[in-house]
Amino acid sequence: MIIADVLRSLSSADGPSGYEYRVINLIEEEVKKIPGVSAEIDHLGNLIVKKSGQGKKIALFAHTDEIGFLLTKKESDNYWRFTTIGGIDPKAVISQRIKIYTRSGDIAWGIVGMLEPHLQTEETRRKVPSLDDLFLDIIDCQDRVNAGDIGVFSTEPFLLSDRYFTGKALDNRVSCATLLYTLELLNNFIPKAESYFVFNIREEDGSPGAKTVAYRLKPDLAIVLDVTHGDISIPSMPKIELGKGPALGIGPVIDYNYFERLKGLAESISVNYQIEPLGGRSGTDTDLIQITRGGIPTLLVSLPLRYMHTPYEVVNIRDIEETARLLSYFIARGGE
Amino acid sequence: MYLKDLTELFGVSGYEKKVREYIREKIKDRVNFIEEDPLGNLIAMKKGRVDKRLLICAHMDEVGFMISNIEDDGRLSIIPIGGVDPRAIIGKKVIIGEKEMPGIIGFKAIHLQRDEIYEPPKMENIKVDIGVTKKSEAENKVKIGDFVAFSVESKSNERWFSGKALDDRCGCSILMDIIHSDIDLYYDTYFVFSVQEEIGLRGAGVSAERIAPDLAIVIETTTSGDNPEFPSDRRSTELGKGPAITFAHSGYVVDERLFRWIIDVARENGIPYQIKRRTVGGTDARRIATTLAGIPSAVVSVPARYIHSPMSIINLEDYSNTLKLVSILLTKEARL
Amino acid sequence: MKELIRKLTEINSPSGRESKIREVILDELRNSIDGYEVDKLGNLIVWKNGKSDKKILLDAHMDEIGVVSSFIDDKGFIRIEAIGGISPYNLIGSRITFPESGIEGVVGIEGETPQDVQKNLKELNFDKIFVDIGARSREEAEKLVPLGTFGVYSAEFVDLGRRIVSKAMDDRIGCAVLIETIKMSNPYYKLYGAFSVQEEMGLVGASVVAFNINPDFAVALDVTAWSDTPKGYKRMSIELGKGPAIKIKDNASISDRKVVERLRNVAEKNGIPYQIEILIFGGTDAAAIQRTSSGIPSGTLSIPCRYVHSPHEMIDIEDAENAVRLLKALVEEEG
Repeated sequence: MIIADVLRSLSSADGPSGYEYRVINLIEEEVKKIPGVSAEIDHLGNLIVKKSGQGKKIALFAHTDEIGFLLTKKESDNYWRFTTIGGIDPKAVISQRIKIYTRSGDIAWGIVGMLEPHLQTEETRRKVPSLDDLFLDIIDCQDRVNAGDIGVFSTEPFLLSDRYFTGKALDNRVSCATLLYTLELLNNFIPKAESYFVFNIREEDGSPGAKTVAYRLKPDLAIVLDVTHGDISIPSMPKIELGKGPALGIGPVIDYNYFERLKGLAESISVNYQIEPLGGRSGTDTDLIQITRGGIPTLLVSLPLRYMHTPYEVVNIRDIEETARLLSYFIARGGE
Repeated sequence: MYLKDLTELFGVSGYEKKVREYIREKIKDRVNFIEEDPLGNLIAMKKGRVDKRLLICAHMDEVGFMISNIEDDGRLSIIPIGGVDPRAIIGKKVIIGEKEMPGIIGFKAIHLQRDEIYEPPKMENIKVDIGVTKKSEAENKVKIGDFVAFSVESKSNERWFSGKALDDRCGCSILMDIIHSDIDLYYDTYFVFSVQEEIGLRGAGVSAERIAPDLAIVIETTTSGDNPEFPSDRRSTELGKGPAITFAHSGYVVDERLFRWIIDVARENGIPYQIKRRTVGGTDARRIATTLAGIPSAVVSVPARYIHSPMSIINLEDYSNTLKLVSILLTKEARL
Repeated sequence: MKELIRKLTEINSPSGRESKIREVILDELRNSIDGYEVDKLGNLIVWKNGKSDKKILLDAHMDEIGVVSSFIDDKGFIRIEAIGGISPYNLIGSRITFPESGIEGVVGIEGETPQDVQKNLKELNFDKIFVDIGARSREEAEKLVPLGTFGVYSAEFVDLGRRIVSKAMDDRIGCAVLIETIKMSNPYYKLYGAFSVQEEMGLVGASVVAFNINPDFAVALDVTAWSDTPKGYKRMSIELGKGPAIKIKDNASISDRKVVERLRNVAEKNGIPYQIEILIFGGTDAAAIQRTSSGIPSGTLSIPCRYVHSPHEMIDIEDAENAVRLLKALVEEEG
């Protein structure tokens, strides 16, 4: 599997929360290329891939949804009001071209316009517009868009340099790519665990995807893959860097014993790793999974990412390789 | 009464081990069944006269911090675990990690502060000092992810008890007293010493799912507000007026039948009681009630001053009246 | 249907005190159902058998927002706390009724000077208001409204023709729509109707109501906000009289795409007017139901409603009638 290629097609695929099916179908196609696994899409739309093995039941989760837009109200002719799915900085939306999926299947294009500087006053220039101040200028197929149509950023992914990759939706497609690569690497072992790779829906609006799959599977250990802020200074926090390997979460929502085992394994097979302290809830699928059913031990493994929730997020391919290496060994050893 | 021992132990949310082990040691020979679930909740059962189940719980965890980074000068950055008020933590002794390494939370001398004197300190400016000058020295003693707990000695006389973590070691002590007494339990009674209540009511619901009780009573330590700076008409409870019985709090209106039953039992047995006036704050009752197919739940609390700070106070008569009331409740059939 | 709505909205049942409304709803449905149960938290669940084994769950919440007495002062004035999302701004100038005591009171505001009153009005919260039931001493007041007495808005049902107004349209209109749907349908699916408790406290009843039912999909019935009044919310387009609203998203959940499509298809096939709803705040029972056990595809059908959470919520009767038509067609559809 060529990671950059898989990442490119995952990033290009469009699947905001609630409308992930195109991404799910794409991942299912990729999974078909991997021998020794079986896949199923459940009644809510989550993709669950099973790799048989004898031992503990380990479930890995990566959410497939991305942030997006929803058309809410037609102002006049070609101008539409919109809202976001997930948290998006209004500054990241200005002057972007948005790709809109219409009911008929045609793609419409909209631009979030910015008033020319010449026409702005001193006062306007100092304010950042909020979502209530913005609108979409639908330049094409304007008669075919309706309220409720979804939109995504239209940025094209590409290799920024030989190891750095950029594009939209790398939160959380980079984790999806990591899980796919892990599945491929797992073929080199006879794993001492029964593992489930869950490509779930709807993390951005409160995890009904991950939690409900965890409920059904009732795994002995759940490992959530998500992204975390990389290459930026956050007060009181260690600096997590791209290229330095996965960030392992530690805190109340993480099972301490499994954390120590994963960390120990990373050290013994020379996988670089970083530590991410979590004082309470992590803000990822981990939180709900941990308290599902009678309680499930959880781990959070995050890939460092720059510029989260903007149209050009950045990751380092090396982190994908190292994380997959660590996870495949961990599963092969049954989580020991 | 186990208040002295319990309040002096360290059990920040997610790191309740020492409290759990102490309680387990003290009660294991007095119960029919004892186990620890995957989240760390301690569950002990004492058989009753009928085949139905009652869950009674108190949470073991207290608010505190976690080491989030080790700075170059050897001081430790911390992030809060639970709702700690940053204005109440300056000039306190703390204990770090399993090895119980001592440290202090220092702050800039008043002489050197100008406008900042009346500004609430920001967590990012609060550091723990363990008496080293270099990062490498610190790394030999502590690590990121270690918990940081207040270290406070308790003080008491016949009427008053002061110390840290009265929320909810009071509840834990009451449960332990009941286990040690020889009361004739009506229901098969499941004593749950829960975890992670302070970071979002995370532990108790998980136990409730495993136990599937017919009803539940939460024993908490609650806010009062009875001090001269706080208007009497906005107080929650008053010390010395007896156990506080809750009719509603954040996210849940207590089952009306249970509420009325508890009050009637208090009246019939001449036990002083008060009705908790304010609906602020939440308890594990919300989580337990919304578990499985629904579990009617009630809340009985010991009133306390200054909870969530490192120094709180309770009235020991309130403690014994709460113990008396709950003991009697457990011998009866609830009026559901 | 107006009479049913009047009957339901006039009942005083705030969150946690739903026995009266539950009784009335059960009474209305007794002759139209194949069975019912009241679960551990007080949710009323009714069912009507269909021709297939598949199950559909329709849910509406029985509770309304209100207040509760938290303190009585020496002069007999009562302090209150909120039950659910009731705003102190909607209480100024309103009357409160305490159904358990059969007594009404008016809401007053603190202010030692005219400037004080102005300031309090600008930054209003529950600390600055009180209820006056006309008592002249603490003892008198305590006898009538002891600590922990629940209260609701005191406001009558008003028939303005196409538009009707009352307190508790949220969500008695959902209950009315659900009752009519159950009465009038010959369901293909096994139809479960859930009348949930304590939605206003945080979707409490809905968190457990579907646990033992395990439906194939669920639709919550609730009110939604509005944007068709002067300088109304500019990013939303929900109007009274344009039909029931099929919810795409609100702040608590995103409706299952397939449930949305289903509702749309049924509406279009049967020529029933509808609107598409995207709410930039708020939530419904669907958010809790969708998370039950291993997940239930869920959505919401909303009745557009002006002045939600005030004592005078306004809906368009045709929106409610069209909602019933839509749901009837939905539950009778084969396949």
